[in-house]
Amino acid sequence: MCAYCPVFFCLERMGCTVEDLVKNARLINQQLARYGVKFGIYKDGEFQERLFPFDAIPRVIQADEWEKLEKGLSQRVRALNLFLKDIYGPKRIIADGVVPEDFVYRSPGYIPQCEGITPAGGVYSHISGIDLVKGKDGVWYVLEDNLRIPSGASYPLIARTLCRRCSPETFRHNAVVDNRGYGALLRRTMDSVNTGGINVVFTPGRYNAAYFEHSYLAEKSGAALAESGDLYVRDSVLYYRSTKGDQRVGAIYRRVSDDYMDPLAFEPTSLIGIPNLMGVYRAGNVAVLNAFGNGVADDKGIYYFVPKMVRYYLDEEPILSNAPTYLPFYEEDMRYVMEHLDTLVVKDVAEAGGYGVVFGSKLDKEKLESLREAVRREPRRFIAQEVVDFQDLPIMDEGERVERKADLRAFVLSGKDETVVWPSGLTRFSRNPDSFIVNSSQGGGFKDTWILSR
Amino acid sequence: MDTVTLSKQNRLYWLGRYSERAFTTLQYMLGEFDQVLDGAKVDYPAFCQKMGIPCPYTDTEDFWQHYLFDAADANSIRASIDNMLGNGMVLRETITTPSLSYLQMAEDAIIMAETSASPHVELQWVLDDIMAFRGCFDDAVDEEDVRNTLKAGGFVERLSLMLRLDWRMERLQRELLKLLNRLYKTNLPTNGEALEVIQRAVLAGAETDPQLLLRSVESLFLL
Repeated sequence: MCAYCPVFFCLERMGCTVEDLVKNARLINQQLARYGVKFGIYKDGEFQERLFPFDAIPRVIQADEWEKLEKGLSQRVRALNLFLKDIYGPKRIIADGVVPEDFVYRSPGYIPQCEGITPAGGVYSHISGIDLVKGKDGVWYVLEDNLRIPSGASYPLIARTLCRRCSPETFRHNAVVDNRGYGALLRRTMDSVNTGGINVVFTPGRYNAAYFEHSYLAEKSGAALAESGDLYVRDSVLYYRSTKGDQRVGAIYRRVSDDYMDPLAFEPTSLIGIPNLMGVYRAGNVAVLNAFGNGVADDKGIYYFVPKMVRYYLDEEPILSNAPTYLPFYEEDMRYVMEHLDTLVVKDVAEAGGYGVVFGSKLDKEKLESLREAVRREPRRFIAQEVVDFQDLPIMDEGERVERKADLRAFVLSGKDETVVWPSGLTRFSRNPDSFIVNSSQGGGFKDTWILSR
Repeated sequence: MDTVTLSKQNRLYWLGRYSERAFTTLQYMLGEFDQVLDGAKVDYPAFCQKMGIPCPYTDTEDFWQHYLFDAADANSIRASIDNMLGNGMVLRETITTPSLSYLQMAEDAIIMAETSASPHVELQWVLDDIMAFRGCFDDAVDEEDVRNTLKAGGFVERLSLMLRLDWRMERLQRELLKLLNRLYKTNLPTNGEALEVIQRAVLAGAETDPQLLLRSVESLFLL
């Protein structure tokens, strides 16, 4: 029996061969093409749409393992929501010396205009994407919290439907928790904070990298998909221009970053936002998912403090571990980082999408020195982490079964009265054997994530 | 979602027009080339003139290749299919993912046809996919005005093509009656003057300048 647990056990029992897996992958990728499951990238100034390569071998998470992950993810997101409420409110965590104010006020994600605003339903991060990896020691480590506009749920959502179609026997023989309720869960989350009116998914438009996701989630949640010109503000109320007259919007799931959402409050040159939206939000007349200013809580610098937040706000021990992290901001950590730079991974807190990540072990002497200098010069700009030796997952590559680095983005949905972890997630893998970078924009692929029910 | 914005209404109308344009012109081309098998010649310059498009083609083969498959030729059938899919993609949550998948398959089929040894087979798939799209859309969309906006776009395109390609008046009458049946079930603003010209010419048989009639069909809806 193969070491990758029940899938292969099942597949082998069924007489499934490598050829069958290749065939399955081809069938599913054909189906993904049929349904236009693509992501966009800009290359040499031109917009290109690409299929997101799918691998037919799922990641499998056992029921008891998931139970622990689920509790840990829910705990983490509850603490992060309380942190946001505190930061834009009384700031107890700063006053009590748990988080230095430098890490809050100098974070590019901190938005002073959000001070004193409590969003509808009191929720800040409604859709949270938590990136994890499983170490070779069997421990799950959180690598990153994404509380602004985390993307990716649509891919495993549609892939599951297609996998069931292409390989029904596999599902007949495995007790896999159904993940196809994400649209309904998203709707429930929006409804719980809706201030009266319709739900809208707000997209920057057709040429956004995640446009497929925006339109698919709108369809699955029953929300209207809207672009800038489709919405307007009148008397501190947000309206959707429909052919049947203007309709009030009660919740807007926006897939545009803070800076571009309202040209009158943020970036004045933005053409993809909604003028005066901030006023509607401030008046409590619309729920914005996720709330403005969440970037202060998913900053790579703040990541270090999340376990402390769990203890501080919930009076509980954190269930999930962070990757061992050092903040050069602290003298002791700076010393350690300087001494071990060649074995650490250094991350620029202002970057995202796999950019600004440097592995000390891959630098020559000159580049290592230049990185050392940069960290010394701007300690607040960087964090350093031990390289987590995480488990590889098997993938099919040109007919061969090989192993590649992979992570898991788990989605946690927080409504007014509940925090729910979606029993699935986006498993991304690197297609390059020497790389830890799994982002789709850098050539990565994805696979289905099975949560076993027993 | 049961309501659409004005911009989406526009997209629906043009989705209807491009799907009809691709369907009817492809059917027409397949008929023409069936006759070529028996030695007939394709009068492509006359076809271009009727369609009101430029005729940069050097011979029948060049016309076949470019008018059917050249995505860079804005008047080609491939361009109509690209535009059909492009409009469909921004309407996913309105027309539904299963309907949209047929538009994607039509595009895939015409791309396959370009390099196929027997392109008529793949081109037939294009027609099949457009028909399947229509059925799927009709079944999946609840809102009558949304359904009728797409259909109205299709009927306007069909009338326009019939006028350009000199179809018989009885066919025109039948298609116009289908359009009139939908006209008041859409929220599309209508050009009353154009409607009167069309009705007089097609239903009452009044002698009308063909160009005026074509312009009236093209401007029937104020979008």
